[in-house]
Amino acid sequence: MSYEDYLAGDPLIVTAALTGGVHGKEANPNLPEMPEEIGRAAAAVEKAGAAVVHLHARQPNGERSFAAERFQEIDDAVRQHAADVIIQHSTGGTGAPDEDRHLPLRTDPPPEMASLDMGPLNRYDRLTSENTRGMVDALHEEMRDNGIKPEMEVFNDGHLNEVHGLLKRRELAHPVYATLIFGGGTLTRPRPRNLLNAISNLPDGTLFNTLAFGRHQLPLTTMGILLGGHIRVGLEDNVYYRKGELAVSNAQLVERVVRIASELGREVATPDQARDILNLQS
Amino acid sequence: MTCPYLEYRGESGGKQFDHERAYCSAAERFVQPMRADICNDRYDLNHEEHCEIYREHTGEVES
Repeated sequence: MSYEDYLAGDPLIVTAALTGGVHGKEANPNLPEMPEEIGRAAAAVEKAGAAVVHLHARQPNGERSFAAERFQEIDDAVRQHAADVIIQHSTGGTGAPDEDRHLPLRTDPPPEMASLDMGPLNRYDRLTSENTRGMVDALHEEMRDNGIKPEMEVFNDGHLNEVHGLLKRRELAHPVYATLIFGGGTLTRPRPRNLLNAISNLPDGTLFNTLAFGRHQLPLTTMGILLGGHIRVGLEDNVYYRKGELAVSNAQLVERVVRIASELGREVATPDQARDILNLQS
Repeated sequence: MTCPYLEYRGESGGKQFDHERAYCSAAERFVQPMRADICNDRYDLNHEEHCEIYREHTGEVES
């Protein structure tokens, strides 16, 4: 993907990360945590132009859940309110046992897509999400066996090597899809040149998605639009609409990037167009 | 054993929730759901080892 793809006006896939697995309503009361809330949020972001919803599961008190049954409740609510949207489950889970990280892949039907964290990252001051190569391979294997498209999450430049390594170790269905992630801590520093650098170091033919945390969400996703990639926004990654002003909904964040994309000459992909672009199996 | 600073509250500091949520009485704020797993010593997490807030408040900060 490149600036040429932007000039060609290729459709833009917008992913909305509705909930996340780190912060919750204590950070923004508008962040949806319960299945019905998530289902309604999915409908709103689909109406706003999102083709994909990235989902995490929570317990009633907002704490994390990895249970397939909880993901099933969420999927059922999403399908009730937004039947066409593409469902992407998170398999991330700092501190959770490896076996629990497979559980979000075991809904009926399985999600069309799932995240695949490409390597270690630090959390807080004394915790690391390891994401060993063995874990990456095991998750990929279960995704492959169930027709689930991996969304490779590249948290820093070292993980670009891991993408190349995974492609050497295993055969991935085309097109390969990677999310380039920018923020603080272990993540790639959120600077425009670093997005350009990351894109240039992806394996040939890889489709990329741009994700940036906090105030970097808007400028770097706008760059991603101009560079021919796809984008992800949502309250998982950014709870503010602008400095000092909490976002009122996931849809508000989607609506803004859709407006920008339209002004820049890229129309958003419908869920079915996104399925074609990503070569999803459903 | 859960962290001695962990409480579950329905409101504090002008924030109200339908379900009681994890609150850190050392930091005096609601904690992120991911951190609540550390507070509760879930999985292989342990507040004595993994929580910098607990360690700071009990003097276990590394020099």
